[in-house]
Amino acid sequence: MVLNLRYTVQKKPNYEVILMSDELKIVGLLCNWCCYGGADTAGTARMQYPPNVRIIRVMCSGRITPSMIFKAFQEGADGVFVGGCHIGDCHYDAGNYKWSRRSKIVEDILEEFGIERERFRHEWISASEGEKFKTTMEEFHKTLSKLGPLELK
Amino acid sequence: MSYVLAKSQNDDIHKAGECGGAVTSILKYLLDEGIVDGVLAISPCDDVYDGVPTFVTNSEDLMKTAGSYHCAPTMIGDLVQKYLFDKKVAVTAKPCDMRAIEELIIRHKIDKDNIYVIGLNCGGTVPPVAGRKMIDLFYEANPDDVVSEEIDKGQFIIELADGSEEAVKIHDLEKEGYGRRTNCQRCDVKIPRKANIACGNWGAEDGWTFIEINDEKGQELIDGAKKAGILETKSPADPAIEGRKKVEGIMIKMAKKIQDKMYPTVNEIDDWNRCISCYACRDVCPICWCYENCELNKSFFKDEQNIPPSPIAFQGVRLSHMSFSCVDCGQCDDVCPMDIPVSLIFDKLQKKYFDRTGYVAGVSDGTKPPLYSPEKTEL
Amino acid sequence: MLEIKHTLCPSCSVGCGINVVLNDGEIVGTFPYKRHPVNAGKNCLNGRNSIDCYKNKFEDVDVDSLIGDVSKALNSASDVTVICSGNNTIEEIEAIKEFADSKGYKIGFYADNLKNYEEVASYEDIENAEKVFVIGDLLYENPLIGRRIVHAKQNGAKIFAFVNSEASVTFNIADECFNDSVGEFLDAVGNNIDESSVLVFNQIDAAEDLDKIDALNCKVLPVFSKSNSKGALGILEPKSKEEMFELLDNTDVLLVFNDDIADELEFDFSKISKIFSFAPCADETTEISEIVVPIKTWLEKDGSFVNAMGETQNFNAAIESDALSVIEVIEKLNG
Repeated sequence: MVLNLRYTVQKKPNYEVILMSDELKIVGLLCNWCCYGGADTAGTARMQYPPNVRIIRVMCSGRITPSMIFKAFQEGADGVFVGGCHIGDCHYDAGNYKWSRRSKIVEDILEEFGIERERFRHEWISASEGEKFKTTMEEFHKTLSKLGPLELK
Repeated sequence: MSYVLAKSQNDDIHKAGECGGAVTSILKYLLDEGIVDGVLAISPCDDVYDGVPTFVTNSEDLMKTAGSYHCAPTMIGDLVQKYLFDKKVAVTAKPCDMRAIEELIIRHKIDKDNIYVIGLNCGGTVPPVAGRKMIDLFYEANPDDVVSEEIDKGQFIIELADGSEEAVKIHDLEKEGYGRRTNCQRCDVKIPRKANIACGNWGAEDGWTFIEINDEKGQELIDGAKKAGILETKSPADPAIEGRKKVEGIMIKMAKKIQDKMYPTVNEIDDWNRCISCYACRDVCPICWCYENCELNKSFFKDEQNIPPSPIAFQGVRLSHMSFSCVDCGQCDDVCPMDIPVSLIFDKLQKKYFDRTGYVAGVSDGTKPPLYSPEKTEL
Repeated sequence: MLEIKHTLCPSCSVGCGINVVLNDGEIVGTFPYKRHPVNAGKNCLNGRNSIDCYKNKFEDVDVDSLIGDVSKALNSASDVTVICSGNNTIEEIEAIKEFADSKGYKIGFYADNLKNYEEVASYEDIENAEKVFVIGDLLYENPLIGRRIVHAKQNGAKIFAFVNSEASVTFNIADECFNDSVGEFLDAVGNNIDESSVLVFNQIDAAEDLDKIDALNCKVLPVFSKSNSKGALGILEPKSKEEMFELLDNTDVLLVFNDDIADELEFDFSKISKIFSFAPCADETTEISEIVVPIKTWLEKDGSFVNAMGETQNFNAAIESDALSVIEVIEKLNG
């Protein structure tokens, strides 16, 4: 897995926040069946959301391991977002339960290495919830803008 | 669960062993009756500071394993798992050994039916090299003259060849940076209740071993050894049971106090900047058993250019793999060439996990740590 | 049958203790030797991997006929050079020297361009020093000495370091870092060095650096890349890299006793007409050798090493073997 996080600024007028902190890098690990669809819906509806997020599609949030999150931070991500199906909606029955248990460990570990809890976020977003994807991204971007770029120890 | 006081019927064992010599007697019974192929216990190699795990298949060789060694911070869980998994064995185990064995049983790396565990109550171990320096500094004795050591009533007691004893308060030693290993100082599991039986001197009369029988297999052990005529037992009086409980309680209370002091310091650890990526901590860890399949060996984590490695991409990955199962045996601290206090962060994470789930590694009942549960529940 | 035995780590001159695990008569792994005063059970990756030499050792062959071939070739040879190294024990080095002297062979002994010091600092001296001067990435290359430097820092010492590359763990713990050249480092910090200082080094750039070190009035501790280099220095005169090249230029037949000289020196070994190797397992030198005589690995032999601070440490064979030791090989070569 090689993430190229060198980011070239896309021209997106009318988006003041981006211009202020367009160096922020967000890695988004999105479940194929729900959240990726949600992002798609947001895109199709031409909703504007911060372009700082680099989306990586995974088949299920249950496939995501804590190491992926850590690798993203090590490679220079300022925030990592994970999106999965709502509880009960997992395409593979219980993947999102597994992820949710794992996510707690991720939070606990990040904290010990001086990475703020807020830099890591996960949310259940269905394929139809384009609006929720957009607002989540905006919120996350805002949070990260406040925190500034991540400086690893 | 029941309690007995036990004493060896074999005079030699009674003399050589700690307290009543029950542990050695039971091991002898297991070997003599052919119930196990061998026994893995600690015996001193060069001197009392040099405890080495020794595999004994002949009960005559058992005598060298008799007695207890507080300067032998060994770990036997991985030895059993790597080299003795196909044999029927009996092992003596400190609480951390037992917890490691239990975690490995959960991971199907040790077969529960193949192993008898004689648990040993433990107040902590002392690192041998630092221990010798400590005796040199705080006792009026030459470390070479020490024939045995003991931890009792908050003191570290040494016995010299001429029979004299000297004691110093553990608290005073630890204030100066000596005494028990730091993971032992904060360890709050003093009695290995997952072992078939747990033996020790807390609450025992002189010349007897206090045994807590934890399961049916443990009961069979005691009954068998009695029937073979090697062990004598009697019921402990209520004050003895209370006394033992009190000792355990005090130790746990002290440990919690030290935990409260140590855990907040984790965020301040800046020792990671001298990590040389030698993987000693991973390789010695009894819970880590993936070996060459370890995720850290994968090309995307193997970062030979970057030494020291980024802590999050090295210890972070290890933490996510097994911190919830950390038994705080302190082996990673012991083997780190750079003296990084590795176990502290692992232990802290296991405590955080306990707060979320109630799971204590190697102590809690249940088939798996909740992280691996197929249940449809969130934490 | 499971067994754990004490031995010494052969991977550098620090002299760490290490336990090896034997299962059913085979070496299967290592185990911390926590009682050992040098390293208290801590071993670096090289140390723990050092049993690979046993795992990859040469298979049994007809050693007698191989040694016969070597003897025959030696009978008609002139300009024979014997390569001896710190990989051999004291007893072996003495036997090699006697053998070479009696036959009139020249001895090539290379000890990382460093030389012998009658008096060296002990590991505890490092811990108790007020200032520690470090040349080379000791923390990474000799971690169990590096650990003592860390202790010194924790005891309040100031650390000055020279390391070739800027990204190194030694730099991370140093108070002042240099990376241009050893000579400039010594010039820059020279005024700072006094009797309470210790200089630890495992490399130099040029012979002049050794002179500069001689002029210092502090304790020094050279650390070598081979377990018994310090012991060998007590018996043999070391050669610098240039001297080694000169010697090899004038060599027709090369006898290599357990030393991967081809890896260590960038020399065109094809200029030498015959190379005979006595080695326990394959390396670059055995690759280019005409005849390779298998000998005991360090786990199979008894002997003594002298560690970097000059302490002699004895060790016993961890496992029995039929392979010949260097001493037995020499007896056979002598007929």
